[in-house]
Amino acid sequence: MSDHVSLEKLTLAYGRAVAVEALDLGIRQGELIALLGPSGCGKTTTMRAIAGLLTPASGTIRIGGRDVTRLPPSKRQVGLVFQSYALFPHLTVYENVAFGLRLRGDRDLDRRVRAGLATVGLSDFAGRAPAALSGGQQQRVALARSLVMEPQVLLLDEPLSNLDARLRLEMRLELQRVQRETGVTMVFVTHDQSEALALADRIVVMRNGRIEQLGTPEEIYTAPVSGFVADFVGFETILPVPDGGALAWRPGAVRLGEGPRRGVIRGASFAGERREYVIDTDEGVVKADVPASAPALTAGTEIAFDLPRETAVRLERLD
Amino acid sequence: MTNRIAAWAILAVTLLFLIGPFFIIIAAALSAGNSLAFPPQGLSLKWVIKVFEVESFRESFAVSMFLAIFGTLAALGLGVPAAYGLTRYKVPGGETVRLILSSPIIVPGIIVGLALLRYLVIPTGVPIMAALFFAHAALVLPYAVRVVSASMENLRTDIEEAAMLLGCSRAGAFGKVVLPNIRGGVLAAFILGFVTSFNQVPVSLFLSGPGVRTLPIDMIAYMEINYDPSVAALSALLAFMSVAIVFAAERFLGFSRYV
Repeated sequence: MSDHVSLEKLTLAYGRAVAVEALDLGIRQGELIALLGPSGCGKTTTMRAIAGLLTPASGTIRIGGRDVTRLPPSKRQVGLVFQSYALFPHLTVYENVAFGLRLRGDRDLDRRVRAGLATVGLSDFAGRAPAALSGGQQQRVALARSLVMEPQVLLLDEPLSNLDARLRLEMRLELQRVQRETGVTMVFVTHDQSEALALADRIVVMRNGRIEQLGTPEEIYTAPVSGFVADFVGFETILPVPDGGALAWRPGAVRLGEGPRRGVIRGASFAGERREYVIDTDEGVVKADVPASAPALTAGTEIAFDLPRETAVRLERLD
Repeated sequence: MTNRIAAWAILAVTLLFLIGPFFIIIAAALSAGNSLAFPPQGLSLKWVIKVFEVESFRESFAVSMFLAIFGTLAALGLGVPAAYGLTRYKVPGGETVRLILSSPIIVPGIIVGLALLRYLVIPTGVPIMAALFFAHAALVLPYAVRVVSASMENLRTDIEEAAMLLGCSRAGAFGKVVLPNIRGGVLAAFILGFVTSFNQVPVSLFLSGPGVRTLPIDMIAYMEINYDPSVAALSALLAFMSVAIVFAAERFLGFSRYV
């Protein structure tokens, strides 16, 4: 029982609709975990249950060894950075960050609030109203508001999805830095595999309310167990093999122009550095991309190609 | 070109209709003559002063003030939680509840007044003041629910969850982050309710009884006996009071955003 957060046989439901079924997951102290999956997979529901915003139908949630399954959110020492930030519009940035400390009657309030704002680089914005800040700044306020409470676990709901590309990189580095400096255990929810791969120590790939695969980013990226995970991490060609498993290739691994297989190009598109093709074959659809320097092929062309066995990963399940 | 002239003419007549009575009342109030008339006969403030000397006006003003303030507060006491429940949760039959809550606006006041008299006051013998209080609270309730709902709908729901994660109870989250953010709507609802209650005639007409009547009812009764300009003077004073309240609310709270 060295897990800092543990979910045991956790079943979550909205009325009769079961969203998460008998989920077991252990999260270690100081770990950064990503819950990854498409919408409706149960990742947000799981996060809300850890926060106490949803009461489990059955199962147990432990945080720091303590059974918190029946505790209200206010007693769990869990922080949550909402996707929409959920700042209090009637309070200044300073008062937003001070909110929880004030409720607690913290004697060291001012120093903690200032330290929190400094951590996220917003010391000069203490007196502003949340509405006067950019989205990225609002998110950092929300982060500081949770961090000053020194939560046992910090939950983040799609922390990067509302930011533009430049801010996304900045926030990613910021989150990693905060995690390094504070050592707080973090769980973040995302539907974007690149976010999960870049940020997390371990990734929990979820599907239909269950864990499909759990592993480090390298494991998930290089050794997906199923067609579902493979597709999620960029293996776009997935073909069944006779024994029930499957083989998967990334688009770049497909060799066009020669080889034992034949197919007809259904679609072609030019993507700057690469040309992308969708090829219909007897075995299924193959997606390929080749350097743009290769000659262009048009839709309808029949073409020979090869799917080298050594560039494929073997999947336990096609689906 | 003729279209333009016609449009301006319609606008002018409409405005004249809306504001005209106001000027007539003010002019009549300042009359030096002894009967309610326009144009006024001479100028004087004697009827304005007379208003404050009529004892029944003072009494009925107090009744109307009491009803407008406490009736509206009671309506808000019910209406704010109702608005919260209806906007936050998918209540089964929520639309029906909303419709029923609006019924005091939809059903003619004459009918409400008659029904309350026939089936509440006469059989149960509730005191007139209590009957008026409940009637006014009920009449104002729709405004309370609607106006507060409108400002509640503009408020994110997740701020309550955020407050709970920072240590608030459910009720605490409502008090600490919901109420402060809808206080403009609550105040707007109060002012609208206050004015509605204060100007209410048909229901109060049925429920007013010996010794207890609201100001508008008292004014009608007064006019039936004394056809002098003091009623005009009182009307002008009330109009100024309403304008002052709405102006202050607009000035300090941006009242028009909520109505």
